[in-house]
Amino acid sequence: RTFRSADVHAKDFPTNVAVVAMGAELSKATGGKDTIKVFGDSSLGSEKDTVEQVKIGALDMVRVSSASFHGIVPESLIPSLPFLFRDIEHFRKTMYGPQGDKILAAFDKAGFVGLAFYESGARSMYAKKPIKTLADIKGLKVRVQPSDLMVSLVSALGASPTPMPYAEVYTGLKTGLIDAAENNYPSFDESKHYEAAPVYSETMHVMTPEVLVFSKKVWDTLTKQEQAAIRTAAHNSIATYVKLWEPREKDARAAVVKAGAKIVPAAEIDRKSFIAAEKPVWDKFATTPQLKALVSEIVDAK
Amino acid sequence: MALTVLCLGFVVLLLLGVPVAIAIGLACLATFAVEGLPFETAIQMMVSGMNVFSFLAIPFFIFSGELMLHGGIADKIVNFARSLVGHWKGGLGLANVVASTLFGGVSGSPVADTSAMGGVMIPIMKREGYSAAYAVNVTTHASLSGALMPTSHNMIIYAFAAQAATGMIDGTAIRGVSIGDLMFAGLVPVFWIMVCMLVAAYWQAASHGYPRSVDGRSMVQRFPGWSAVLGAFIASLPGLGVILIILVCVMKGITTATEAAAIAVTYSLLLTVVVYRTMTRVNLMKSLARASKTTGVILLLIGVSNMLRYQMAYLEIPDAIEAALLTATTTPWVMLLYINIIQIILGIFLDMAAHILITTPLFLPLAIQMHVGPVQFGMMLLLNCALGLVHPPVGTVQFVGCAIGNISIGEATKTAWPYYLAILTAIMLVTYVPVFSTWLPSLITGHPVL
Amino acid sequence: MRWLTAVTSRLSRWAMYIACACLAGLLCIVVYGVVMRYVFNDAPPYVEQVALLLVISVAMFGAAAGVRDAGHIGLDSLVAMLSPKLRFWCDIAVQVLSVAFGVALLAGSVEMGLSTYASTIPTLGLSEAFRYLPVLLGGILFAVFSIEHLIARFAGTEVVRSWH
Ligand code: NA
Ligand code: NA
Repeated sequence: RTFRSADVHAKDFPTNVAVVAMGAELSKATGGKDTIKVFGDSSLGSEKDTVEQVKIGALDMVRVSSASFHGIVPESLIPSLPFLFRDIEHFRKTMYGPQGDKILAAFDKAGFVGLAFYESGARSMYAKKPIKTLADIKGLKVRVQPSDLMVSLVSALGASPTPMPYAEVYTGLKTGLIDAAENNYPSFDESKHYEAAPVYSETMHVMTPEVLVFSKKVWDTLTKQEQAAIRTAAHNSIATYVKLWEPREKDARAAVVKAGAKIVPAAEIDRKSFIAAEKPVWDKFATTPQLKALVSEIVDAK
Repeated sequence: MALTVLCLGFVVLLLLGVPVAIAIGLACLATFAVEGLPFETAIQMMVSGMNVFSFLAIPFFIFSGELMLHGGIADKIVNFARSLVGHWKGGLGLANVVASTLFGGVSGSPVADTSAMGGVMIPIMKREGYSAAYAVNVTTHASLSGALMPTSHNMIIYAFAAQAATGMIDGTAIRGVSIGDLMFAGLVPVFWIMVCMLVAAYWQAASHGYPRSVDGRSMVQRFPGWSAVLGAFIASLPGLGVILIILVCVMKGITTATEAAAIAVTYSLLLTVVVYRTMTRVNLMKSLARASKTTGVILLLIGVSNMLRYQMAYLEIPDAIEAALLTATTTPWVMLLYINIIQIILGIFLDMAAHILITTPLFLPLAIQMHVGPVQFGMMLLLNCALGLVHPPVGTVQFVGCAIGNISIGEATKTAWPYYLAILTAIMLVTYVPVFSTWLPSLITGHPVL
Repeated sequence: MRWLTAVTSRLSRWAMYIACACLAGLLCIVVYGVVMRYVFNDAPPYVEQVALLLVISVAMFGAAAGVRDAGHIGLDSLVAMLSPKLRFWCDIAVQVLSVAFGVALLAGSVEMGLSTYASTIPTLGLSEAFRYLPVLLGGILFAVFSIEHLIARFAGTEVVRSWH
């Protein structure tokens, strides 16, 4: 059968290409029995909509930001904790490894089958001025997504979190309705926010991953062999994805520099005091002993 | 099979007289059943279609329009327009065009505009020797400007429908469309329409000898003098100020474009309750109730249109239509002509909100391939939809106008062609001359708008 | 019939009151958000989600009142050309279909409410199921008002609007 998978990105975006590749591999593994059709461009609804459809079984699979699961699977909050990962190597080692698998397994009790995480780079702050220290960000109006975690994260830095729809951020930055926003390089590039807020400070405060999720309702109707084939294909799609994502991130960084954006490199950021300021946020969201154990396991991973 | 159920179901239900929103909803539900999809997904898509932050502006713009309508702002604008052009041949017709265009900016809604201007002007015009059809046509067509004004809730719907647009035009990446960019794109086209409408109204009045009293005498009012014009202008300024308020709120970083709609309501309330003291308690309740009901009607349409959009994406219809059109032609100007023709035809059947939500994902990607940006395309789409509002059989604005003028739809349609022509020239200019709609917003926002 | 009219006219008036109250509340909360952000540099994070819940309430109750007062836009020019007898049955079909739509809204929102019950709305901490409550109530009102129209047609009477 053809599994339908939804995505909010355009057809040529790495997440979509990776899932298409996963479909090809699945088709080969099952002798053409199963394959995947990707519906991009939000055509089947927003991330929230498609997650709910996967739960009902109206949709077989979905690729969303793991932030979409914050209100559904408490474990999904962990990789979004501020400054959890030291760098991208640390992220890959844990999230593509045993700790990532543990978090994916937690999706099961909410009615989902977690298949794989994909990295989405680090999100950093951008504004009209550099943000190197806590003093720099104090009192700034920072645009956030409507999320408890992001609101707490920004408040903990002494800034004023300002929820706002993405489409209005450009004008908001330009007119001074907000002072800063935060995102990864590819989004900073595509949204052209650098025209309004040209200083990108590599605070790298959060590395919220993308997640690939299957519908448990549909999953339970599949044979053991099919399930295994899907898991393998999903796991192998990570390599395809990373190979596409890395140059995309690099190109985006080069593009914004060429367009006149100034970059404050990570080395110039007072990361220590940022991390200290975010400690209460960890305690607020990693509440149970199990969650705390998982956090230390990730932190301790060398 | 599913496609047959969807299309046939919708047409049959519509012809049976089922309200458009319920017809779309039921046709989709039937298709869900045929597809074996869980039908609660349909309800989910309906709710998520209505649950959009930028749609908060819809109830606000409608409410503010109702307040202006019941709060006596309309009379002041009519007075100004009459004193300005009322002494020319067909003066009341010309005054009506000017007043409807101005009130279009205040209300942002062709329907509210027609009820406000029509309610005041059509009876006066009939009394002073204009034919009812002339009075109705001038009002309804000039009111269409409202859809392109910064206070237009239809623009908000379009900005939402276009948010997934991506592509490249002349080296500039397109990613959705911002409401701030869109808001002032309609002003130049509106001005053009007003001028064309003035010409059409003057010509029709001259060739019929309007205004004509019962005994055949021509009756033209006297020019009241420039000081009277100035006085009337100043009296109408606070009402027109609502556009300025929105501009200032967005450009000075006080509010987002969505929140500006709430500020517009606050301003309208202050103006009609505190400054003019023309708002009675009964009228205030009436405005609130009418705004709630209209919001319900429009948002329900938006919700079921989202259901339909989902169903069409699921059946991969947009891809099929895009492929079919690209086989038909790859020449930009021909393609744009096709898109316009299809939209005018769809406008005959569909209500504006449904029309915008359904056709944007179909045609915007194509338009971008033809180097038409999302703001320019938005103006093209809104104008096509607006034309549908004065077109039988489902022309909401024409319906309201004819009800006020107490004439049949057929009677109005017979002499409406000069005004259709005026709108069509605007559609052609917007389609083929990008700067027509993009120059002013680029100037105001300070960055290139496509 | 008379007791039904008494109930439904009251229901429709209350639907209207609720819709109006939600619209007024919507205005207050959005203006409050603007003032808090612009004047006090302290944007309340929950404004967006509260506003979304309010707008769906305005819409569903407003739309329901629209059903009773025949306020929804439809195409009647073709039905108008039919004989009175055919027109009557078309009208009956329209009302029956409207009842069906109301029931579908009711059933669908119950299903969605159940399946999203465990998720929480960000920044509010409220269950996602609350989003479907106005739809559920709206569905009931849609069905009830359409049944009233249906009965009125067979009785040969008109449904009197409860507000203008
Ligand atoms: Na409006
Ligand atoms: Na029409």
